[in-house]
Parts: sequence; structure tokens; C-alpha cells
Amino acid sequence: MSERLRIALSKGRLQDKAVELFEAMGLDCAPIKDPGRRLVHAIPNYPLEAVLAKAPDVITYVEHGVCDLGIVGKDTILEQGKSFYEVLDLGFGRCRFALAVKEGTNFYGTYKTRRIASKYPNVARAFFEKKGMDVDIIKIEGSVELAPILDLADAIVDIVETGSTLKANGLAPIEDVCRVSARLIVNTASMKLHKAAIDDFISRCERELERRS
Amino acid sequence: MYTIHTPEGTRDRLFAECRERRQVQRALTALFARRGYAEVSTPEVEFYDLFLQSGSPLPQESMLKIIDRSGKIMVMRPDCTTPIARVAATKLKTLPLPQRLFYDQTVFRSGQAHKGGSSEIAQCGVELMGAAGQKADLEVVALAVDALRACGVEDYHVELGHVGFFRDLAGRVDMPATVIEQMRLLIEGKNFAALNDLLEPYAGQGACKALRRLSRLFGGADVLDEAEALSGGSAALVYLRQLYNALSKAGYGDHIRFDLGMVHQIDYYTGVVFRGYVEGAGDAVLSGGRYDNLTEAFGRAAPATGFAVDVDAVAGCLPEEGAAGLETLVHYKADALDRALAAVDAAPAGTVELSPCESVEETVALAKEKGARAVLVLEDGIERRVDL
Repeated sequence: MSERLRIALSKGRLQDKAVELFEAMGLDCAPIKDPGRRLVHAIPNYPLEAVLAKAPDVITYVEHGVCDLGIVGKDTILEQGKSFYEVLDLGFGRCRFALAVKEGTNFYGTYKTRRIASKYPNVARAFFEKKGMDVDIIKIEGSVELAPILDLADAIVDIVETGSTLKANGLAPIEDVCRVSARLIVNTASMKLHKAAIDDFISRCERELERRS
Repeated sequence: MYTIHTPEGTRDRLFAECRERRQVQRALTALFARRGYAEVSTPEVEFYDLFLQSGSPLPQESMLKIIDRSGKIMVMRPDCTTPIARVAATKLKTLPLPQRLFYDQTVFRSGQAHKGGSSEIAQCGVELMGAAGQKADLEVVALAVDALRACGVEDYHVELGHVGFFRDLAGRVDMPATVIEQMRLLIEGKNFAALNDLLEPYAGQGACKALRRLSRLFGGADVLDEAEALSGGSAALVYLRQLYNALSKAGYGDHIRFDLGMVHQIDYYTGVVFRGYVEGAGDAVLSGGRYDNLTEAFGRAAPATGFAVDVDAVAGCLPEEGAAGLETLVHYKADALDRALAAVDAAPAGTVELSPCESVEETVALAKEKGARAVLVLEDGIERRVDL
């Protein structure tokens, strides 16, 4: 196996978990943990190199085929749409999308058009379309919790891990939108052109995931 | 005030991009013509209803629409096959079948913003109208392999699948239609884990084993063996193997692979489907398959198959070749026009140009600015060369 695959890792929380997974698979991740000034990190004992990127960019890199593989949260996949293969649920980075409102308010108790703030407008739109509800969706980049507090929105659709941020801001989750976790994604052409190498990587991942469960 | 940039998804193509696009178009159209395909060209604007009523698999949001004066909805040609099926079933309806047609034209899609995708896609492709069966499929698949070879790319292959295999397996399990569609999407997206979970409740049923593996059944001809063992056999597999044997015998075996999990546009395709991949392109560059039900919508039922090549995607994979640079400017008196043109025509394209200047000094200055290495002066019956 001479071809070296390239994987894009989402920076931050998923990155550490991905490195944990790789190490459990027997990959030497020292170059990723101590990156120095390098941007591309070659794994010394496996034909793989890793780049770190913001989650939406992971999808972009994989879609365009400059990275063969990527590790990214399902939340980003749901928001961005996809033209790649989503092969494995890696089981880490678990959290959920939830609809949250100001504590004590009755979100469904009116026929008025409700306004929803979210960092994930596509996820929010799909959720309410399924319910057959017309809502106004406002894209917020930063702390979404602020929108209901300032009365910009009636509710938010956001990632909830423990719910403590919501609680601290006087908000409460009233409904789950969907559950998310980290996924292994593969470029459609790489899957075909580098089948042996990608098969090997996927099956190593699978063995480790099986051991964990 | 007008804007001087091009709309999202469109672009100006300069020099090398045009040259490479033209090179691919020339290679493909020459090959198609040699195999007996005749060129047709259809309007860039068509009625939206054409695509709606013929059951085109394109989602309507991907079509660029225009409303004409009477209020009719028109679309910029979103695909080449549907209009050509219309032509074959109407204008060509008195001609004997099969008809071999090729096209070299642009399709328009409204893509997602800022994804780097183009909404103008140059396609070269063929349609073999009015021929069913193995020989028609063989001819078109072999042409697909030859097409990629003719383009001059190095590492390429064509992957075969058959919609009948999925239909056969799905028909053997007792499953609601909504679950079958969910399953199809997971197989298409090669979502191994989620497919497994979805099929867990049906694990007792015979065909389930094969369906669970279906997204992984791609690669060399050995996937046919595996699929046979898992499914207990299927007419689609027998057919693919016959194709493979015939293609191998003709020397195409090295460039043929299989993906039995190709289950896209399952209501449109009716038999063998295929895609072509080239090292260096992030997605399939060639796509096609059998669509026996399309022309019926236009009044003449005819089995058909064909494929399209994404010209720019292939051109992007060609080894980069620099264009010949300018070497000589020709300074000539008006009465030496014939000799001046002869000098330009005798040299490799792009290496010699005429100078529009009145004096030799101006020509020399221009030659220096353009990076030429010499000026050829033709005046009063003499010819001299000034090296710079």
C-alpha cells in the first residue's frame, strides 16, 4: 500500500476524540498532538496524513477531493447537505439538536407565526417543514441563547449537550430535533480510486468501534 | 451602472482552460463520429413542462428558469438526454432504429452558492436510441471506456451497476415503501453503519444479508461472486457477468469495475448504469445508463442507453501543457503581406505574429514588451532578422 490518504479532522472537541480513536487503532498521532508550524501532519506508521480544519471546511475539502476522508459532526452534515459517502458513525461527540424556549412559555399555544433563531437554519427549516409549520428563521452566528432573551425570537434550534447553558439563560429544551455524533466521510471518487487503502482504514475503525461497544 | 463580474456559478475561461476543453471535445466528438454517431444540437432554452412530464430525475430547484412573455415557464437546458429523446421521438420518428446520436453542448444548473461548482457544464455524450439488449449495452460501455482513453487521461475506469439487482433484493423483503426508500438513500450514500441499523429488524429475511452488504459491493469482478453468494443469484448479476466476460475478451477488462450499490435515480434508469472515474477528479466524470421508458413520454417508445462526459472535469485532469509562446514578430511593408502571412502560417501556431506598427523601432519595442525573441523584417524585397 503505497498511496498516502489524506484525512481532514474537525478542530476542537472532535479532534481530541479522533486522535484518541486513531491511537486506539495503533496510529502514531504525535505529529497531530504537537503540530508546531506544520499544517499537514504525516502519520509515521500508517500511510495517512491529517489536516485540521473548521467543521464546514472538512466537508468542503472532502467534497472537492483534496482530502480523501474526513471526520465531522452530523450537525454540520445536516446543515451543509452532502455529496460524499458518510460511511461510519464514530460514536463520539454525541449530543442532540433541540428546540428550546424561554422557561414557562407555551411555544405551540398560538397561531401566530413564530420566529426561530439558529446557527443551523437548514436544520431548523427542515424540522418545521416536517411539522407543516410556517416559521420565520433567523440565522445567528454567535450565542443563539441571546435571541429569545432579547425577544428577537420565540425559540431556538441548537446543539444541546448538558443543557446547562440553556438553563443558565432561563431557557428550556422542549423537543428533540435529532441526535448527532461524529461521522467518517469519504470522497466519492477516492472511495473508488483508492479502494484498498480506504477499506483498510475503515475496517480498522470498525474493529476499534466494535471493541468499544 | 452595470456590474463587471460574472454571475455566481459562471466564469470566463481563458487560454489554457479553453485549449484543454477544446482538446477533450475534439477527442470525444471525433471518436463518437468514428463509431457512427451523428451530431445533434438542441435549443438552450426549453419548456419546463418537457422535463416535468417526461419524469426527468432532476430536481426542479436545480433548473434555471425564465418566464416568457406569455407567462410560460422555460428552463435553460438542464440536461441533454431529455431534449434528444424528444427529437428522436418526433423529428426522427420515421427513421429506422437504432439511431446513434451525439452532442457537444452546455447544460445549466443552479447549484449551491459558494461551493466552487459551476452552473454551466460542458457535456459531450452519446445516446443509442432504439436498441435493447446486451450488444447495445456492450457497445455503449466500451465507448465510455474508449472515450476516457481518447481524452488522454492516465488512470481511469468505468464502474458498472444494475438497478435490477437492488429492485430484485428489495422485492424479496417484506418492507414498507418508505423504508425501502430510506434504505436506497443509505446504500447510495454508502452509509454502512446506518444501513445496518435500519435493516436490523429485518435480519431474519433472506435477502437482508445481501442488502446489508450492498453499499460495500464495489470493486473488481470478485464483487459479482460475493453478491451471488450473498443473494443466491439474480438475473442482473448474470447479465453483468456476461457483459464483463465480453468486455474482458475485447480487452476492456482492466478498465471495468463494479458498484452494485449504484442505486441513484432508480425510477429513471431501467438496467445497466455506469460511471467513469479519473485519477485527479473529485467525483465521477462520466455518467450514464439504460433508460428504456423516457422516449415513450414523447410518443415513440424506444429502449435507449447513453452517457455524458463532464468535459471540464476531464480537462482538469490532463497533464498541464504550456502553450507555445510568442517567438517572433513580423514587421512588413504592406506590399509584403503575402510573404508576412506565409511566415506566420509556416511556424507552429502562436509562435509568430504580425506587427501592426509603422516603424521597425516600434515593432522592436513591442516585441520586447511581449517577450518575443526576434523581429523578422520584410521590406523592399529583402528579409532580415533582428535578434533581441
